[in-house]
Amino acid sequence: MAVLTIDNVTKRYGDFTAVDHVSFEAQPGRILGLLGPNGAGKTSTIRMIAYITAPDEGEVRFDGRGVGPWSQEQMGYLPEERGLYKKIKVADQLRYLAELKGLGRAEAVEKIRYWLDRFGMSEWAGKKTQELSKGMQQKIQFIATILPEPRLIILDEPFSGLDPINAELLREIILELKDADRTILFASHRMEQVEQLCDDICLISQGQILVKGPLRDVKRSFGRDTLILEFDGDDAFLDAFEERGLIRISNRSKHRVELRLLDGAPSRPILEAALDHTDDVYRFERVEPPLSEIFISVVTEQQGQDAAESVPRSPVQVA
Amino acid sequence: MDKIWIILKSEFKRRVTSKAFILTTLLGPLALIGFMVIVAIITVSAMTGDTRTVAIVDDTGVLLERLLDQENDSHTFVAADAPIDSVRQRVLRGEYDGYLVLPAALLTGESRATYYAVEGGGSTLENFLENRIERALEEHRMSEQNVAPEVLEILKTNVSVSNVKLSETGEEAGSSEFYALLGIIMGMLIYMAMLIYGTVVMYGVIEEKTTRVVEVIVSSVRPFQLLMGKVLGIGAMGLVQMTVWAGLILAGVTFAGSVISLFLDPAAMSLPETASQQEMLAQAGLSLPSLSAGIFVWFVLFFLLGYLLYAGLFATVGAMVEQQQDTQSLVLPVMLPIILSIIFIQPIVESPNSPLAVALSLIPLTSPVPMVVRLAVTDVPFWEVLLSFALLIGGFVGTIWLSSRIYRVGILMYGKKASFKDLVRWFRYA
Repeated sequence: MAVLTIDNVTKRYGDFTAVDHVSFEAQPGRILGLLGPNGAGKTSTIRMIAYITAPDEGEVRFDGRGVGPWSQEQMGYLPEERGLYKKIKVADQLRYLAELKGLGRAEAVEKIRYWLDRFGMSEWAGKKTQELSKGMQQKIQFIATILPEPRLIILDEPFSGLDPINAELLREIILELKDADRTILFASHRMEQVEQLCDDICLISQGQILVKGPLRDVKRSFGRDTLILEFDGDDAFLDAFEERGLIRISNRSKHRVELRLLDGAPSRPILEAALDHTDDVYRFERVEPPLSEIFISVVTEQQGQDAAESVPRSPVQVA
Repeated sequence: MDKIWIILKSEFKRRVTSKAFILTTLLGPLALIGFMVIVAIITVSAMTGDTRTVAIVDDTGVLLERLLDQENDSHTFVAADAPIDSVRQRVLRGEYDGYLVLPAALLTGESRATYYAVEGGGSTLENFLENRIERALEEHRMSEQNVAPEVLEILKTNVSVSNVKLSETGEEAGSSEFYALLGIIMGMLIYMAMLIYGTVVMYGVIEEKTTRVVEVIVSSVRPFQLLMGKVLGIGAMGLVQMTVWAGLILAGVTFAGSVISLFLDPAAMSLPETASQQEMLAQAGLSLPSLSAGIFVWFVLFFLLGYLLYAGLFATVGAMVEQQQDTQSLVLPVMLPIILSIIFIQPIVESPNSPLAVALSLIPLTSPVPMVVRLAVTDVPFWEVLLSFALLIGGFVGTIWLSSRIYRVGILMYGKKASFKDLVRWFRYA
């Protein structure tokens, strides 16, 4: 099976250690979410997996064999910093990138036709890439990534810049690839996307792994320490709890508050206060924390408040 | 190897089919042909020049005869058979171009000759007149001293220097100007290849880096393969351009030859009216001396290797920046040796075997231009060419090794422009 193994890998740039003895695995037929604040070492890790750079210590293996030019042909990489040749026509561009992955010309042409059609972009095949909108270029680049049917797929922020319809199409295709037993690495800051897509997660910060494992297990391990409260009236009563360090409010709007109970604080006093100070309470529920909360608390614990706050907090939708 | 070939093909095709390439390739020589026509016209007019008719007012009584006796191919002397006032009128009316007054005291050296004309004769005419008067005076003084006419005859002999190039295969008569011109043209071509195509490579690297497409490419191929594919692809483009230009220029030269021969009068060159264009050009000293094929073989070799060496260096600069305007300070050290070799073209043409010329033609970074110039103007010992070429190969291997190490780190560094300190750091990472 096409397992990707990152085995005790370290990468240094001068005195700076970008990746510090990191180990994890990605399984075929599953999507691994690679998370972490900016500058955590995600891109450095991905580049070593893609055999763009080499680790100083440790080894990256695919299918039990050290990565190299052979694995590059079986891997599709969509970098976060992305771009295409501006002056080459769309079809020529896709064919060039496919040929670099070792595809024959006829095979490439056939697949280009299929994928352009699937993304509704057939009529753009003969246009120069610079004439395309940013979103269309994103789609072209995604096509370029998956066109050679790689067994290992690395997607870094694949949804950025896409409208909801195209994002949904992309999600659909990613899930198809998962069902086709591909090994998929998904790096993102958008926690709700990670929650929707990933089977496993691996959270890196300052070059080290803070949390890893199946998403469900990770969430369960944090317990039901999150409260969702919906009510009518003034929410000022919560400030007292927050000042005493019992809770942390992660999401606050007019009629809805999402908060975490810190250090095993009981939820009952909050319900009582809510009943005393608000006009009405519709909902009071203890749930597992959303991934964004796990992210923030884990990173905060490691680096202190400042670092965690620098991470963009994503709007969390509770389905 | 396979991947290098794919990249080479793509780079080549992409560039050769661009409008800019087609335009410069076709229009470049048009400008050159225009230039050559102008040169041809100037050459012809300088050669035939304007002949002036000069009236001589001789008060010495002895010089006139001698001046009229002299063989004369450019200007005409006539005796002024009228009083000086009417000669002056004739000059003003344009019957004569000017008149020359030779006072009696000229014979004893106590006075000087004076030339009167509506328009100044220029230094060429002045030299001509001085030369003629001096000779007439000399003849007169000699005959005063009863020197035998045979001796006078000997002294009259004109001296002109003709340049003959010696080579192993025998001696070749030819003008050194031609070889100098050939050397300069070949030197300039190599200079252009290194500078212009090198810059194309640099901008190509910057484009890949700015658009971030490089990250995708290096997840499919090794950076070294990308570098080589790009350098070779653009090199192939350059070769095509140069070949097209060479063909068009050759056509242009032939064209210029016909233009020159239109201005040449066979009768004036003591050739029959039916003389062919070749014969006329030969008579006018414009024929092409024979050239050994060896020069061109070496030219192509130095051309290619010189380009390759500099393409690697320019690619390194490209990998260090993200915007074209940031290249200026970094590109200077790369361009310095090229500029140096161009500055020294003239001294090398003048003394191709001076220590400076030999040194410049051996040092790998400067050698391509000076070496082809020397090959054109002089006979360079075979071992010297070979040594220079071997050193150039060594230089190429060294720079490409250095470049590829810096390149593969640099292309993935976004954001700021790299300093030379960064360069050393990157070199260590790689």
